[in-house]
Amino acid sequence: MNCQQFEENLALLDYGEVPEEQRVACEAHAASCERCRAALEDMRRLHVLLGERPRREPTPEFVVECRQALDEALDREQLGWHGLLRQWFSTWHFRPATGLAAALTLVACGFTVGWMLRPRALGTPSLAGLDGQPPITAADLANMRINGISRVAPDPQTGDVRITMDAARRLTLEGSLDDPRIQQVLVYAVKSYDNPGIRRESLDALRSGGNKPVVRQALLYTMQNDPNLGVRLAALDEAKSLEWDSNLRDALLGVLAHDKNDGMRVAAIDVLSRHADEAVLPALERLAASDACPYVRLKSASAVRSLGR
Amino acid sequence: MDGICLELAGKGTAQAADPAAWAGGMEELALIRRAQDGDRSAFDELVRKYDQNVLRLALQMVRSPEEARDLYQEAFLKVYRSLPRFRLEARFSTWLYRVVMNVCLDYLRRQNSRKEVQAPEGEDGEAEYFQALPDEHPAQDPAHALRDKEIGKRIQGALAQLNPRERMVFELKHYQGLKLRAIGELCGTSEQTVKNCLFRATQKLRTELRDLV
Repeated sequence: MNCQQFEENLALLDYGEVPEEQRVACEAHAASCERCRAALEDMRRLHVLLGERPRREPTPEFVVECRQALDEALDREQLGWHGLLRQWFSTWHFRPATGLAAALTLVACGFTVGWMLRPRALGTPSLAGLDGQPPITAADLANMRINGISRVAPDPQTGDVRITMDAARRLTLEGSLDDPRIQQVLVYAVKSYDNPGIRRESLDALRSGGNKPVVRQALLYTMQNDPNLGVRLAALDEAKSLEWDSNLRDALLGVLAHDKNDGMRVAAIDVLSRHADEAVLPALERLAASDACPYVRLKSASAVRSLGR
Repeated sequence: MDGICLELAGKGTAQAADPAAWAGGMEELALIRRAQDGDRSAFDELVRKYDQNVLRLALQMVRSPEEARDLYQEAFLKVYRSLPRFRLEARFSTWLYRVVMNVCLDYLRRQNSRKEVQAPEGEDGEAEYFQALPDEHPAQDPAHALRDKEIGKRIQGALAQLNPRERMVFELKHYQGLKLRAIGELCGTSEQTVKNCLFRATQKLRTELRDLV
């Protein structure tokens, strides 16, 4: 490989997009060519630097706001304002004869139904839920946040109106960590919720149930995958108290192999070095030889020594 | 990873490789067909499946959340209008991200043409916007935070020097982690062309940020 060929591959080397054969040739070339070696180091520093660009994560509120704006735009797109108004008022055509008949019928029905339902009149009015859903009461509606209304469809035959809306209901769930519902919500929050503060709080709440399989799994997942460093570190800290098994070992090795943060790798080495598990030695040796961070290399070498080599 | 997870067009392998993915694909296919028949709730479900990734990409490409919301809306409205013509030969995700990418490219081109007649955008709006986002390093000291902000500004400035296509390719490769092949498919171009584009983008960034690396 010559310098020009090396230069052509330089931008891709750290993305894992260079075929193995070429990658080996590039590394061999860099070892023998000072200028290309410097360029490679330069490129790696550039990648680290670009990694410091702040990540712009959409907040849940922002996502809701965007969805709402899109819903409104789609409504306009689908019908246009005139169409929407036309559809809304189309059911209210006034024809004197049928109108009078309908009014009299309604008054009669109203009295009859009112009389029949007299004992329930003090209760809360309810709306029928569709598709087998339970009815929605007025109290439910008061606790709901309507994010958007995507369709209002009056039925000219029955006079009913079908409203399709995107609404969120505020619920409070209370119980011990043994309650599967509590576990389920906390695990969901830890793994999938957008707000890192809530993920962290959920992680703290799961703390006492560390060795339950579902909690263990959530902790190991978070330690490896959470986008927020603080949350990953907290999960790793919690993992220290977990019973040692191959899943925990593999998760820690996953952190060593993939986490770009030096602090995370150092913390993972600390946990690994407490357990006399020889299966971790190859990974630690690899890190001791080639990790980009000198401190990680040092810690790995020290862990390898303490594990008996 | 938080970035885009792009499934490339390919037939006949999903069922054998992963039954769950296959079942998910069938479910999505049913949603697309319902949406093509005018079922708005099916379209809404498709939007909710992909919109956070679209928004994340839009936020990376623009300066303000308002602009990101506009790009998001423009992209999904285009998808909505073109959905009846979408043939199920390609994957929906690939088609969707191609639309998103074109909307972002148009935006960047508009920005580039305005650059010459407009003063550079102030930092105030951006700073406010960053505060609204989850803090990645909550325990940082102020000096560190200031340094990070300066570096972020320099990187943003360097990225702004790239032409729209280079910027897009670099964003998809470096920050969203897409494979060259996937980017090529989105751009409707060869892997080699994407590679050349990425090479040029990287060279420009190296030059712009030389004093920091």
